[in-house]
Amino acid sequence: MSDAVQDPEDVKLCCATAYQQDAVALILGESYHPGGLDLTRRLGRALDLRRGQRVLDVASGPGATAFLLAAEFGVAVEGVDLGDQSVASANAKAAANGLGDTVRFTVGDAERLPLDDESVDAVVCECAFCTFPDKATAASEMARVLKPGGRIGITDVALDPNRLHDELKTLAGWVACLADARPVDQYVDLLADAGLKVTQREAHDDALARMIEQIDARLIAFRMAKVPALESIDFDTARQRVALAAQAVRDGIAGYTLLIAEKL
Amino acid sequence: MTMTPPRQKVDRDEVFLEYTKSICPVCKTVIDAEVNVKDNKVFLRKRCAEHGKFEALLYGDAEMYFASMKYNKPGTYPLETQTEVKDGCPLDCGLCPEHKQHACLGIIEVNSGCNLDCPICFADSGHQPDGFSLTMDQVEAGLDAFVRSEGEPEVVMFSGGEPTIHPLILDFIKMAQDKGVHMVTLNTNGIRLAHDRNFVRKLAELKPTIYMQFDGFDPETHIKIRGRDLREAKQKALDNCAEFGLGVSLVAAIEKGLNEHELGDIIRFGIKHPAVKSVAYQPVTHSGRHVEFDPMQRLTNSDIIHGLVDQCPDWFKLSDFVPVPCCFPTCRSITYLLVEGENVVPIPRLLDVDNYLDYVSNRVMPDMSVRGALEKLWSASAVPGGDGNTTNQLECATCGIDLPEALKDIADKSFMVVIQDFQDPYTLNVKALMKCCVEEITPDGRLIPFCAYNSVGYREEIREQLSGVSVPTIVPNATELQPVLLTTKYGSKMFGNGADGEGNGAADGSAHVPADATNVGKTLR
Repeated sequence: MSDAVQDPEDVKLCCATAYQQDAVALILGESYHPGGLDLTRRLGRALDLRRGQRVLDVASGPGATAFLLAAEFGVAVEGVDLGDQSVASANAKAAANGLGDTVRFTVGDAERLPLDDESVDAVVCECAFCTFPDKATAASEMARVLKPGGRIGITDVALDPNRLHDELKTLAGWVACLADARPVDQYVDLLADAGLKVTQREAHDDALARMIEQIDARLIAFRMAKVPALESIDFDTARQRVALAAQAVRDGIAGYTLLIAEKL
Repeated sequence: MTMTPPRQKVDRDEVFLEYTKSICPVCKTVIDAEVNVKDNKVFLRKRCAEHGKFEALLYGDAEMYFASMKYNKPGTYPLETQTEVKDGCPLDCGLCPEHKQHACLGIIEVNSGCNLDCPICFADSGHQPDGFSLTMDQVEAGLDAFVRSEGEPEVVMFSGGEPTIHPLILDFIKMAQDKGVHMVTLNTNGIRLAHDRNFVRKLAELKPTIYMQFDGFDPETHIKIRGRDLREAKQKALDNCAEFGLGVSLVAAIEKGLNEHELGDIIRFGIKHPAVKSVAYQPVTHSGRHVEFDPMQRLTNSDIIHGLVDQCPDWFKLSDFVPVPCCFPTCRSITYLLVEGENVVPIPRLLDVDNYLDYVSNRVMPDMSVRGALEKLWSASAVPGGDGNTTNQLECATCGIDLPEALKDIADKSFMVVIQDFQDPYTLNVKALMKCCVEEITPDGRLIPFCAYNSVGYREEIREQLSGVSVPTIVPNATELQPVLLTTKYGSKMFGNGADGEGNGAADGSAHVPADATNVGKTLR
């Protein structure tokens, strides 16, 4: 973990705030998680979502996952995110697209979900579980709101922190979903401890490599554009970090995984 | 006592993919064809009852061929079609009511004469005494037909022959602009642009985009493709264009085993030259006049893309090149680059193009304006550079990827790369042809899909009409056909059986478009 941020609550807020910041939004672009819409679609299929079901999206960000699931699977989606700006703009987008009745976003903490027990048929959490400081609590919260027999679908960065390069263990690394990610087995154990049995696991490392490449391309484009919001960024250092992340994926230290677990 | 081993069934060594129609490359009769995949390559095979079996390479990378299918966009009806459906595709061009796409780009060949006699020329042009040169009235008739069909046509390309030696070329460009054509492009070998600065100055007042043949840097490349070392002329023409503010797209004809190794050098040169806004790579079209080739070993779009990735590994990967959705997606692939000094970023790395241009999976459309902008960029009518029509679209597409206001001057930094494979009498696939969006505009007011024009016999028919001189049906200069080929008076090849050695064609001037002989007009009982 970074020296600059020690308190888990600070980290959580900082992470959520960072995702709202222009600079981070600019660099990460429209695709806030690796795999983009295709992987979200795959997640929806793996969850076997049915028309009319109620789905919780934990850390819903700008709402892309929720909109796709609502439009393509006919489910109602409840999005929860710690960032109030993300929630407001996602709600505005839902209203603008006539989805105000089926997709709704609320400010909330993954470790204290603002939902009743056994109130949703499925939970999705894309590229966010790794950033939760108290993963055990987050897992048990997701299990709590899930109906018995319901499923949770997670896509996330999986990595071996012991082998991670020091420079990636900074706040920037944290925001980019790398620094507090865990090996797949640990995710499986965390979910099991919360009463969620993993039934399916898939590796999607290419999606992570592609996203890292996209971040690098955007850094070059922004340097060309001399964007005021990014004036303080040291592009060379940023690109070195990105290169380290890409290397970590190639070395099998970091990857992207899709997990489906069932509430027993 | 000997035991006869049991007979074993044997698997085919190819995957049958598509059933389609094509033509016999010799007699041009419409015949059935099949598309098969073997060793990760895509081939088209067909059999003419009279001339036998033919097979040719369609796409060098079958995986990329499959992946391109999702970029197939629904076509658009033109405002008007010019012919009726009578004999079926490709004999009713065109456009006939069954054609699946309007015309993104119309080509007018203003003459057949040229100041070069290239060994490779799909138009079979040169220093010839019996060609044609269009009048104002003829060009106007073509433009009017195009306007009736398109409303406000996106792009007209003046070609030839060599259009810059037509005495009325400036008037033609002006007339097209006056008729509301958004972009005019001029397809040239650059010789006049190199030597006649006064002409370049006048041209610059009209600001067409220049499409200049530019095949590479090796003297051998020039000699084999153009018959002359034109390196100095090309450089001078480009410098003149830069001086007078004309934007140029370099058009490189790439022939297997000749200038494939120059793909990377051409784009590196183009990016540095101030006049150049784009490079278009075209595998040599084996229609008209060309050097001997093997249809099974020809270059295809995927071979060019692989070549670029191999030769510019720091800049490109395969996925940077996106098939164009308006035509059939295997016909053309495009990428855009942002370039500043040594920094080069392919735009498909900045946003997930698939989120907008995948017409198969996507039922949720996040932003139709971004899709619209990308459709205009990934189009046969995209013209690069400051005076082209891509500037606004790039700004719109980049706002879709949150690239900021500061990239407003993006046109100055953008560079387009196009890879376009034209069909020839071997590779003609009616399935792709039916969605062609690049049309030859003829003075009799037809819009004939470019590859049909070159392959089926329309070019010979129109040339005969315009010149009043009999023109033989042109046959590809394929290795396997050598024993039956004769050389025509223009240097192209014709079938030797029954025609005289002078290449004067059939004495009776009979039709160049024979009727279909397979699976048409027959019933089982």
